[in-house]
Amino acid sequence: MFETKLPGIGVRYEFMTETRDRVGVVVRRDGRRDVAIYDRTDPDACRGTIELSRGDASRLAELLGGTTITERVDELRHTVEGLAIEWVTMPKKKGLTNKTIADGKIRTATSASVVAVIRGEHAVPGPGPNFEFMAGDVVLVMGDADSVKAAAAILTGA
Amino acid sequence: MREASDAVGSAAVNVGDILIGLGVVLLVLAMLGRLAARMGIPSVPLYLIGGLFLGRGGPFPVDAGDEFLSVGAEIGIVILLLLLGLEYSPQDLRDGMRSTWLAGLVDGLLNGLPGFAAGLILGWNWTASILLAGVTYISSSGIIARLIHDLGRIANRETPIILSLLVMEDIVMAVFLPIVAVLVIGASFTQGALAIAIALGAVTLAFAVAFRLGDRVSRAIHSHSNELLILTILGITFLVAGIADAVQVSAAVGAFLLGLTLSGRVADDVRMLLPPFRDVFGGFFFVFFGMQVEPSTLPAVLIPALALAVIGVGTKMATGRFAAARAGLGKKAQRRTAYTLVPRGEFSIIIASLGVTAGVESQLGPLAAAYVLILAVAGPLLMRLTDPKRSRLA
Repeated sequence: MFETKLPGIGVRYEFMTETRDRVGVVVRRDGRRDVAIYDRTDPDACRGTIELSRGDASRLAELLGGTTITERVDELRHTVEGLAIEWVTMPKKKGLTNKTIADGKIRTATSASVVAVIRGEHAVPGPGPNFEFMAGDVVLVMGDADSVKAAAAILTGA
Repeated sequence: MREASDAVGSAAVNVGDILIGLGVVLLVLAMLGRLAARMGIPSVPLYLIGGLFLGRGGPFPVDAGDEFLSVGAEIGIVILLLLLGLEYSPQDLRDGMRSTWLAGLVDGLLNGLPGFAAGLILGWNWTASILLAGVTYISSSGIIARLIHDLGRIANRETPIILSLLVMEDIVMAVFLPIVAVLVIGASFTQGALAIAIALGAVTLAFAVAFRLGDRVSRAIHSHSNELLILTILGITFLVAGIADAVQVSAAVGAFLLGLTLSGRVADDVRMLLPPFRDVFGGFFFVFFGMQVEPSTLPAVLIPALALAVIGVGTKMATGRFAAARAGLGKKAQRRTAYTLVPRGEFSIIIASLGVTAGVESQLGPLAAAYVLILAVAGPLLMRLTDPKRSRLA
């Protein structure tokens, strides 16, 4: 999942579905959401977008069986100015895949923290130092901008 | 800001007349706003035209008590600039500075120089030419943000590029505005150097405060009562603007710097509460600006305005292509970026008004008005051209 800041508007998240469609979600500053499907012929543009109010968005999330993690994370970002949050997808082999959080010394080396890991259907909040990452895990890292970047580099081995 | 040079200094003010005048002005604004929405163009150019009609030398001069309207316009410019400064968080500004400085530089040079050169060619002084450079340089973040939303391009890949260019323009304004505010009062060299040093010191201080104390400031101002919140915010805004004016940095510039420094929750509060005030008083500002332009002065500036508009379309498009290509976007996205940056609007008028109130150059007001009229209308139309799916106009 990629995250792009939209100054003055909010944050855009995007990912590729298994059927190779690119989907984008814009989380606006005021809580509205836009869901967009990118055009296959012009990957920079959207085939269509729908605008969702806060209520619409939680209804859709319910239908899709999702959690409301991003919303809560967003609230947190609001309360703590300068807080950076990144979703890191674990690579096939490199980085900390098949290693534990303690192996990476993320906390001591970068001062960023791994606050949750999403593995397939379920989420592991606050994983301990012996938590072992698996390829494809989505790891939620928090801290200030520089340490989050450093932590992401350790996780992915980039 | 200094009194409009031509304000009528009538002693006995008739309240009834003022209210009737204001009522007429507001209703005209409302009508023009509806018309703009129906035509799918921004309201700023229509407000300017409204001002042309209602002002001196226009077909329907209205007496809303010039003094009252000029105060309303001054409140309008202060609130407009506060909200413009608030549009991006200090964090956005810092990120923008890091990632977009090159494209920002290209933007500034390509779009500022034609205005500056045109000023000199027209025989204007340096100050007026620098103001015109600002007018031709700055894109309208208001019009652009609105169109990105209306055309459903919010998730498009070129949108962050466009927005970060607008952020850079905001940063440039933080330095540009205080400098011109000092230049327009025609200070001597030493006075000017001192005032510019003060102004730049204020900018630096403002950013330092924003980064260090932003949270604490937000917490001190925030209140759960909207009533208390709005009183606090307006109080602080007018106080800062007034002090800025007293040290000759201009009230508008003070408000802009204040907007840049506010962040976090208090910024959200202001963005939620102030837009209705901006709509009313900002409307006054644009109408008042239009009223100060005598329609008879427009034909003389039509040719330079058209020439600058054509150049302005070209240079903004080149900027957009450059920025989008550098970010690795495809041909179509490059074209969309190029067209999207074209509209000029509220900010250009605000820059021109700094010169107009100080009486720097009599042609500056008409030329800026004509320039914005052309590009605020042509920009959105060009933007829709790149969107074959949604050629609807509303």
